[in-house]
Amino acid sequence: MKFFRAFLLVAFIPVSLTHAETLHKLLEERLKSIVVVEFTIEAEIESVLTKAFGTVADDQGTIILPGASVSSMVPASQLKEFKVYRPNSTESFSATYLGQDALTKWHFVRAEAKMLPFLVPVTRFTARNPVPLDLGDELWGISLRNKDENFIPCVFSSRVVLIPNLSNKTAITAQGVAGPGLPVFNRAGEFFGLAENSLGKKFFLFSARGGGYPVVLMNFDESNMVMLADVVEPWFKRIPKNVNGRPIPWLGVYGFQLIDPSVAKLLKLQGQSGGAVLSDIMEGSPAAEAGLKDRDIAFLIDGKPLPHFRPDSAVIRFVGQEILSRRPGDKMRFTVLRGLERKDITVTLGDRPKMEREAAHRYFDRLGFVVREFLKADSIPNLTKPDEHSGVIVRFVKPNSPAASAGLEPNVWIRKIDGNEIPSYHDAVTKLAAIETNPMRREVVLLASCDGKTEVLRIKLDSTCLSESSKK
Amino acid sequence: MFLDLGKIIIFTICCCHLVKFRIFSQSLLLPSIFLRSVAFAIFAMIALPLQAGMNSGFTQLLDAVVRIDVRKVNFEKGTKRLNCCIGSGAIISPEGLVVTNAHVTSPKAVEISVTLANLERVSAKLVGWDHWTDIALIRIDMDDIRRRKLSFNVATFGDSDKIAAGQSVYAVGTPYGLTRTVTRGIISNIARPFEDSCGIDGYEVGTFNNWLQTDASINPGNSGGPLVTEDGKIIGVNSRAYIGAENLGFSIPSNVVRRVVDGLEHNGCMTRSYIGLDPGVLQDLEDFYALEANTGMLINGVDPGSPAANAGIHPGDVVLAINDRTIDGRFPEQLAPIQNIIASFPVGSTIKLRVKRSSQVLSISAVTEKLESHVGEEWAFEKWGLSVRKVSRAFARENQLADDSGVLVIGVLSDYPAAKSGIFCGDIIIKVAGKTIKDFADLKAIYEAYKKNSQPTLIEAKKNRRISLHVFKP
Repeated sequence: MKFFRAFLLVAFIPVSLTHAETLHKLLEERLKSIVVVEFTIEAEIESVLTKAFGTVADDQGTIILPGASVSSMVPASQLKEFKVYRPNSTESFSATYLGQDALTKWHFVRAEAKMLPFLVPVTRFTARNPVPLDLGDELWGISLRNKDENFIPCVFSSRVVLIPNLSNKTAITAQGVAGPGLPVFNRAGEFFGLAENSLGKKFFLFSARGGGYPVVLMNFDESNMVMLADVVEPWFKRIPKNVNGRPIPWLGVYGFQLIDPSVAKLLKLQGQSGGAVLSDIMEGSPAAEAGLKDRDIAFLIDGKPLPHFRPDSAVIRFVGQEILSRRPGDKMRFTVLRGLERKDITVTLGDRPKMEREAAHRYFDRLGFVVREFLKADSIPNLTKPDEHSGVIVRFVKPNSPAASAGLEPNVWIRKIDGNEIPSYHDAVTKLAAIETNPMRREVVLLASCDGKTEVLRIKLDSTCLSESSKK
Repeated sequence: MFLDLGKIIIFTICCCHLVKFRIFSQSLLLPSIFLRSVAFAIFAMIALPLQAGMNSGFTQLLDAVVRIDVRKVNFEKGTKRLNCCIGSGAIISPEGLVVTNAHVTSPKAVEISVTLANLERVSAKLVGWDHWTDIALIRIDMDDIRRRKLSFNVATFGDSDKIAAGQSVYAVGTPYGLTRTVTRGIISNIARPFEDSCGIDGYEVGTFNNWLQTDASINPGNSGGPLVTEDGKIIGVNSRAYIGAENLGFSIPSNVVRRVVDGLEHNGCMTRSYIGLDPGVLQDLEDFYALEANTGMLINGVDPGSPAANAGIHPGDVVLAINDRTIDGRFPEQLAPIQNIIASFPVGSTIKLRVKRSSQVLSISAVTEKLESHVGEEWAFEKWGLSVRKVSRAFARENQLADDSGVLVIGVLSDYPAAKSGIFCGDIIIKVAGKTIKDFADLKAIYEAYKKNSQPTLIEAKKNRRISLHVFKP
């Protein structure tokens, strides 16, 4: 028996030693596939230095950043001074922002040529055969510390504890396994997947004042959610042709509520486990033009039933991806139930109307707010027709400014300036610019609308504001 | 933006049987004999000098003040629940009419019990309520009074228009159910505007009247009790106070009360006219609108589909005159009286508004509609675990709904068919079993059929224009 124990001990030592050595070697190689990207978001009154983890996607120095690293509202023109850092170094390389892809929401950046020798695309570590996915698999990954610590790497490892039923194959590990946006590897060092935003964990928070309450905590530094390599790798090639990732396919259905199996059964959706009720179909959109109507229940897309994912939002995400993985002009066939009638409706996808980050906008410093043009998408919350372009939307209000004191808030719809209708964005900007630059002006009166309620707001101006801004 | 007074926490001072209250009332109401005698001594110390300075009118008033215990049905969380509530009131006629607050007793009351000054209890019935002014009128069971040979005093009203700030007043009532409590203070302000769009169980209050503000101490349970002058004349009905503030109490002026009581006594309700204007204060904007001194009421909003909207009044317009009567709405306290001018027209009247828009002055006529609350009838379908409120015309307009069909979900009981089907508070149920819910009777009929023969029932609901389907399964 003693002998047996000794044998076990001897047998295991070399194995674990080898693994440690291998891991060290694997790490050295794979550090070249990860970077930190630093950039400035230059908004109206402040600049914010932002940091995100990036994964090297190809030989041209293309780097992908997670979608959450920049809000989708931020216009590309406000993203400036992209710099790329390697692990263990504070030497920076310049980079160009390529844009955001609509399907993956990733931001693409390209590092300058000088940096290429230091970079290795993560696809270099792709397994020859598809990587199997099983509960209990051991995965490892890397995160990087901050600039003041030289971006030194830290290594995490954990096991797969959950394989959720999602449209994109995903694994959940017990603990954080890599920085969000960074690659995750299996024991053999093969590219296993890309760490997404972490999954929130439930905790109970007790306070000294007595009592406790449930909270969900999310780790922003280390993620425990990994989207598998065979899902993400094909997306590495989705390098946007322009900063806004256009063209973007568009359907025009804004309400998409899933029905559960008991509803499907009652509606006698034969053999179908589910479907979705369509509503909020934008007038003039491809969906409306093709004849989709409020209350239609879609249960087949291109002849295939809607998948059964949990939570429901995963199915909605799946449909979104079905649309976004196509091109404007492509066709999409919806089989819907309208009343008792089954209909096949083929929609020719259009090009998405202007998005918020593409909208023309202008900042008025003396007044203290930014207006942007009224977009088709604004017709949904403001309950108007999409082609009624009157008025402008407030995008930003400077704290303590005359506009803020008057009670103006972001997302409010300005419908009249000084009692006059605003037929176009251009007209609004001309009017506001004239007020802004007129030192004799002491007030401006706006008719503002929010959630269907309107209010007359008076912005008081003073001459000191003007002199300060003109000095600037 | 759109900040209104409603965001400031205010408590309506009806005293409900909450746990907190029970603890409090136990410690105050059921003390030892020692504590009782201390309480009596304190009462004597306060009451004796008071009585010495008071005339007989005040003593008579004291005997007209009653405690009101109400059991109300509540349609919350998918069930019908009974809540208890204590308030005050004053007997205002020999026929046993008692004036109190609308938040003390409402059509939801299933049992009203009145404790007279002589500590005799009699039951009462609701005559009518008007949540806009927070006034309710009940009638005590006079047969019972006669049978038991009980007696009471009748309070008389004073003229609230003749009250001046600084004048001494007394609040009489039953705070926390403590019988016959008198507190003293002064009138702090004679025309305090206070509007709350859902101040009384979700109902609107304060749109058509200003309030008397007093520093006489008003506590939960004082609700509905009178605010009186030294000679015992009612000049207000105590209604609310600011939480955390030092003696900031509000009373409905007696001249408003008398008008409302008259309407409730004769018609069971107050009928008002509505055209759909949401006024704003004009202060500081007079120059911008190039107005003559002290004229005009600013229109902040116009309810979509309302008579004013149909007549072509726009937000940002200024109303200069109503039926050639010039109006002045520059300050908040001037708005409620103007709103009341419009409300006082008989329903269906054509009213002529002189409206200023930019440099133009327009004459616009609108035909008034009957004023409605945004709170519709409520009900609980207990087998479904579903509490709903009828979508009213006013609610539909406020929320820019296409029409007033459907019911708003105000509560669901977990593990019952509605909750299990994925229905949430705030959903609007549009169709049930293929039938559009135009009014409450439609839904009640379907529910009765479901109770007899429970079959899976298809529900179509809507939230922010998004349509969803659900099944209520037995």
